[in-house]
Amino acid sequence: MNPTRKWRRTVERGAIYAILTIFALVFLFPFYWLLISAFKTQGQMFAMPPQWIPHPATLQNFSDLFHKTNLPRAFVNSVIVSGANVFFSVFLCSLAGYAFAKYPLAPGRDRLYNFVLGTMLIPSAVTLIPSYMILVRLHWIDSYAALIVPGLVGAFGIFWMRQYMIANVPDDLINAARIDGCSEFGIYWRIVVPVARPALAALGIMQLIGSWNNLMWAFIVLRTKDMYTLPLVIYLLNGENTQPYGMLMAGGLLTTLPLVLAFLFFQKQFIAGITSGAVKQ
Amino acid sequence: MKTYQRSLAWLAAALLVTAVIGAVIHSATRLPAAASAPLAALPADQVSGDVTVWSWSPAADSLEAIKPGFQKRDPNVHVHIVTGARMITRLMLSLSAGVGAPDVTQLQRSDAPHYIATEQFEDLTPVAQKYQALFPKSVWNDCMLNGRVYAIPWDIGPCAVYYKKDTFAKYGIDPSEIHTWYDYIAAGQVILKKSGGRTKMLSMGSTALANMYEMLIQQNGGQIFDAQGRVAVDSPQSQQALGIIRKIVQSGISANIQPFGPEYLAGFNSDSLATYVNAVWLEATMKGMVESYPGPKAQWGVFRLPSMTPGGPYVSSLGGSVLAIPKQCKNKAAAWAFIEYALCTNEGQIGMYEKGIYPGLLPALDAKEMDEPDKFFGGQPVGRLFAADVDKMNPLNRTADYGQASRYLTQALSQWYADGVPNRDVLGPLARRMSRALDRPIAPSTIGSAQ
Amino acid sequence: MTVEIRKAASGGLWKHRHFYLFIAPFFLLFAIFGLYPLLFSLYLSFVKWDGLTPAHWVGLSNFQKMLGDDQLWTALGNTVVIGLLYVPPMMILAFLFAQWLNAPWLKFKALYRAAFFIPCVTPMAVIAFVFQLIFSSEHGVLNYALQHLFPWLHLSPIPWLESESWSKAAIAILVVWRWTGYNMVLMLAGLQGIPADYYEAAELDGASKIQQMLHITLPLLRPTLAFCGLLSLLGTLYMFDEIFVMTNGGPGSSSTNFGMYLFQISFDDFRLGYASCVAYSVSITVIVATTLMNRANRRALDEGRR
Repeated sequence: MNPTRKWRRTVERGAIYAILTIFALVFLFPFYWLLISAFKTQGQMFAMPPQWIPHPATLQNFSDLFHKTNLPRAFVNSVIVSGANVFFSVFLCSLAGYAFAKYPLAPGRDRLYNFVLGTMLIPSAVTLIPSYMILVRLHWIDSYAALIVPGLVGAFGIFWMRQYMIANVPDDLINAARIDGCSEFGIYWRIVVPVARPALAALGIMQLIGSWNNLMWAFIVLRTKDMYTLPLVIYLLNGENTQPYGMLMAGGLLTTLPLVLAFLFFQKQFIAGITSGAVKQ
Repeated sequence: MKTYQRSLAWLAAALLVTAVIGAVIHSATRLPAAASAPLAALPADQVSGDVTVWSWSPAADSLEAIKPGFQKRDPNVHVHIVTGARMITRLMLSLSAGVGAPDVTQLQRSDAPHYIATEQFEDLTPVAQKYQALFPKSVWNDCMLNGRVYAIPWDIGPCAVYYKKDTFAKYGIDPSEIHTWYDYIAAGQVILKKSGGRTKMLSMGSTALANMYEMLIQQNGGQIFDAQGRVAVDSPQSQQALGIIRKIVQSGISANIQPFGPEYLAGFNSDSLATYVNAVWLEATMKGMVESYPGPKAQWGVFRLPSMTPGGPYVSSLGGSVLAIPKQCKNKAAAWAFIEYALCTNEGQIGMYEKGIYPGLLPALDAKEMDEPDKFFGGQPVGRLFAADVDKMNPLNRTADYGQASRYLTQALSQWYADGVPNRDVLGPLARRMSRALDRPIAPSTIGSAQ
Repeated sequence: MTVEIRKAASGGLWKHRHFYLFIAPFFLLFAIFGLYPLLFSLYLSFVKWDGLTPAHWVGLSNFQKMLGDDQLWTALGNTVVIGLLYVPPMMILAFLFAQWLNAPWLKFKALYRAAFFIPCVTPMAVIAFVFQLIFSSEHGVLNYALQHLFPWLHLSPIPWLESESWSKAAIAILVVWRWTGYNMVLMLAGLQGIPADYYEAAELDGASKIQQMLHITLPLLRPTLAFCGLLSLLGTLYMFDEIFVMTNGGPGSSSTNFGMYLFQISFDDFRLGYASCVAYSVSITVIVATTLMNRANRRALDEGRR
């Protein structure tokens, strides 16, 4: 390689590093702003030129927040709802995905599977009102069940699990277990689940994000203060005429933190999960 | 052919399954019952229990402030005040779900007819009749349906002009010489010119136009719906109101700032805006914001709303609210006890006035507290200023569709604002659209859009 | 068919009972929260109902109303504009990031990836308020940055959230920020699926980087791009949280997209019959359109292979 070319390559790579770094900083900026705004007074937030580091920093927003809302309770609610949602949906989706992947002889399997895929076309916009009305009639409004049950087994999760099982769970393993007298559920539980763990983790994280962040459905089905989840508590801090940005930022920080940590811990599984599920067919 | 038959079979099976599920859901469940024991006013020593009240801030703070007084009267009733965003949507969801509605709820006065029409609110006629003469007529209009009372007026929103005294003094404007909207515009132009374009007279974002319009048609007796509920927006009064709004926009004295956005709030203490044309309830937000800014504070005063013609009618109101009891309420006697104390006694209303909530009760408007100088306004007794002539206000016929209608109005006006089409091309199409969407005829007395 | 049924009757179903048991939860839940709502919603399309007082059968009048409903058409128009504003920059950014992050010489990959991806895991209920602060025209850090980074442009403060014309741009910026990383990861997976020897062969033939991108990367990435495009299309139409929290559809109805409008007529106005009618009509149109698009896309793909 001649020197000019080498030099050109260095410049090119340097430029790419520079662009990526600038964009990365831009993308991270709102988080930084959230973090520091949580420690500012309303006046400091609107100060011009902006205060890049709050001076003086205040903890008032946090004490207001804990005084005005029952944040610990909301946190518990969020954990219960997200936990149940993640657990059951990972369990049921993987069970169904396994069935669709590994019972080729069951009559009607392909047609049923196509049906499952077809349900992905149904937009939730159409089923929103009747689902709400069903929950009303079941007297499930304002209960954990209203948040957990309706979205539990999605076609997408089943599709994803099936793809993974076809590619990564060898038939021989299943047949060997069957010959050893393992029950059908035992095969799933003891053989399939351990092998499919990465896919389960990825689906779990996806569900966790969706369920932890869910605002619209929580807004619609939760009616009393003791049931509110974190995003709803934050959203409802808004008055009709005023926005308490201080408390919003403080609460926002506390709501975002667990999720960002979860993401950073499971980043690998998560990215692997998204890509294996969504694209490779 | 076979596949066709097979898909038919599948379809039939799916329908069957659905029908069965539907039947099961319908027969095994029932809609939650709303009604409980009927309302009756009980003597204080017999009322007890908890009362949850939904209210938005800053009004909620005033309810909080009169709790001790109420506690003295009804020691066994415990009141909990709850605030939060999109209260009205949540109220509707709660009413339809049969669970989650509060015992007492605040409603925008303008929305009250809509919610009353859902038949989910307690009929207050037996206990409220005796208070009817104590509130302005224009206010009761929104609390009643078919001659029955379903809500009690809370605060009212008489309008005036808040102005920065320091700014007016700096540019040599005398507020006592502003009588008509034309005077107001002229003053705004002086300020705009002398400040080098820095200071606008008022904020009038596109979404605030509908409010401005509503304020103006109350001055000249216009209506959105006539007494029979027919669409009446296409009228000479509307034309006149739009004429004034247009004049304000074209003179360049208005800033395109949306109400209660960051710019609007910042304007309370910066030199970007000289006046706010709004109702008495803006005071609370204004005082709170000005206090929260570090450094020197703006000096505020208030003057009477300009009129359309010299010496013509000037009173007008925006907003205001009412309290009502949803049928879901389990303890109606306690809920009523609180409403009665808060709204129908001078003690309650004046107690809330101290917190910036302007009383709708006429005897409270005569009280000496209204003459108290307000430190924030440099000692001006603004309470008295707002109280003038409130009983002369023109009532608006809002109907159950007012919310939807005002959304159409906002949309039409902001389009008008953006595109600058002639006034007469706004009202005709708007009337026709409202008529079509709301299933209401167009009132015959209105002018044709061809004019 | 007869053979199949006989086989089934002779124990196929029973023999595979575990299969049916394992998939049963999906079908049960789908029946209650999918199929039944679907039909109930169809019925609602023909009635006038506020969820409280009894419903009235109104026949086709909801459909008629829809044609004259300017707010619906405004919302659909806004949806298109918002989509046009954010999809191209988002896709281009996502593609470039993916391309660069796929380069073997790049260091700190995980860091860059996390930075771009993390926006889409954060709760919108929170982030939208942060953006409200950032977008504030006189006191926001974005306008401050624009004015100080590009002083020669003499920008006056942009009314991001105050003006009818800028609110859509504000939403678009928020969406680009939130979803670029997600699309980047999808594209990254697509890129990793392209065998390296394609590029090596092209290199030997003396093809430039740009030629490689045009003739190898883009054609082979086409299914992924189509998938991303479809997700964005549906995403724009049904987008809700972003708008609900940041602009509430305003100012006026300038940032009301279809999802927001549907929420308004459903749960602000409780016009449940009309809302069902609108949801049904628009969704069916979209499904038909995407199916046609998919088919055309697949055909183009097949022709490309030939």
